[in-house]
Amino acid sequence: MVTSTAAPTTTVPGSGPASATRRARPAARRIAVRVLAAAALLGLWQAAAAAAANPAFIPSPGAVWEQLLRLSTTHDGVRGYSGSLLVEHLGVSLRRILIGSAIGVAGGLVAGVVLGTVPWIRVVAEPVVTFVRALPPLAYFSLLIIWFGIDETPKLWLLAIAALPPVAVATAAAVHGAPAHLVEAARALGASRRDVIRDVVLPSALPEIFTGVRLAVGIAYSSVVAAETVNGVPGIGGMVRDAQRYLQTDVVVLGLLAIGLSGLLIDGLLRLAEKRLIPWRGRS
Amino acid sequence: MSSPPDSAVHVRDVVHVYGTGSDMVTALGPISLDVPRGSFLVIVGASGCGKSTLLRLIAGFERPTAGIVRTAGAAPVPGTGAGIVFQQPRLFPWKSVGGNVELALRYAGVPREERARRVPELLDRVGLHDVTRRRTWQLSGGQQQRVAIARALAGDDPLLLLDEPFAALDALTRERLQEDLRRVSEQTGRTSVFVTHSVEEAVFLGSRVVVLTSRPGQIALDLDIPLPRDGLEPDELRALPEYAALRATVGHAVREAAG
Repeated sequence: MVTSTAAPTTTVPGSGPASATRRARPAARRIAVRVLAAAALLGLWQAAAAAAANPAFIPSPGAVWEQLLRLSTTHDGVRGYSGSLLVEHLGVSLRRILIGSAIGVAGGLVAGVVLGTVPWIRVVAEPVVTFVRALPPLAYFSLLIIWFGIDETPKLWLLAIAALPPVAVATAAAVHGAPAHLVEAARALGASRRDVIRDVVLPSALPEIFTGVRLAVGIAYSSVVAAETVNGVPGIGGMVRDAQRYLQTDVVVLGLLAIGLSGLLIDGLLRLAEKRLIPWRGRS
Repeated sequence: MSSPPDSAVHVRDVVHVYGTGSDMVTALGPISLDVPRGSFLVIVGASGCGKSTLLRLIAGFERPTAGIVRTAGAAPVPGTGAGIVFQQPRLFPWKSVGGNVELALRYAGVPREERARRVPELLDRVGLHDVTRRRTWQLSGGQQQRVAIARALAGDDPLLLLDEPFAALDALTRERLQEDLRRVSEQTGRTSVFVTHSVEEAVFLGSRVVVLTSRPGQIALDLDIPLPRDGLEPDELRALPEYAALRATVGHAVREAAG
């Protein structure tokens, strides 16, 4: 439901006010449709909560809203949830996601370039990457805890390992399939092997790499709850887990909403960055 | 087996075969050819006559199955000694127009400050003005091919190799680019080898025209084009009676050679 099908808006600067208004109308309609859909969903939720009549099973939107207010302030000497406000829980998790996926993306890039350019390493390492990709993060988290303890280190490792494969696979495929005619053109101009990788292979791979990065951040996002199952407070995943233990369903739902909405925001930012960084996407 | 001292390109007893076993196809040869320094050689032939193969051998992208290819007295290596223009512009879309030319200058070892000065200069020379900051896809096909020529000229290589560079352009644009290329080649005086299937293009551009037979490509006609290289407007040149006669001769040879 979250994948927006952005209309293929042309980005020709100074394409005139006429086309701007032509674009504005579908955009406004799209927003209206989305608001309407959200409202309908909210209504459905309210109805379901009323029908279930059990806030521990389905909390009402109002109850979740109240939790949002409570967790964002200090009440009766209690600050937010377990001593941290909701934004602080979210902030800690975002920081973990940021660092973890940054490490994973960097590692995935290096691995992908090596996989895409050195055939025998590709033969050896490709099954390993696929193997790691198939593992659910929770499965190797136990091992990481044994190795690195229960502080930040195993959490960052978990997110990095989860984020690495999509970037590695996307990069390897793109590097391997670098357009031969452009590589030849660069060689004709006197480019060295290194020049070719830096000036042709990597730029031509950038659109696919970026898709890999968006995937990686998404996976890191969905793994953060797993990473915060042990000693995860403060952290949005730790908060959700604790709330589940005490059957505070409204806090669980609030946590889920916070994760999902911030995920939407991050993906939007990545899309924006993609548009700015890769203006040649889809051109040749 | 040394090449003649004034020979920019030396091809001797070259045969080129693609594939192996029953898929083996002899694309070219045996063929021998010397291109004197400063001349403009056009290789004409029907498609599949091995003319592009010959150019790729001279560029160093491929090694001949048999025989010897030398440019400036040595075995050719891509990126050294020859600028190459392909049928498609092959510009890098992640670089601006100026960035494409700048990259070529960088590979040629031109220092940074000089590069900034020479980019607009090179673009000027191929008839492009104020396009340095444009994106490559904002240019027309003809303009893109002009950028590709500027890029190939950046290295100041003694040799310029062109593989049907105007084949994909409309007639009017093609004529313009032919005229400009002729002018540029007169100004720079570098040796050029130009591959085409167009008789008109061959006679207009070449100081010498070689017609290849159909596969395997061999020399069917080797003709000097004694038309004036400067001092004439393109239209005046095309109106010369010798021009029409040469066109007829080459056209006849091409048809004969295609079989």
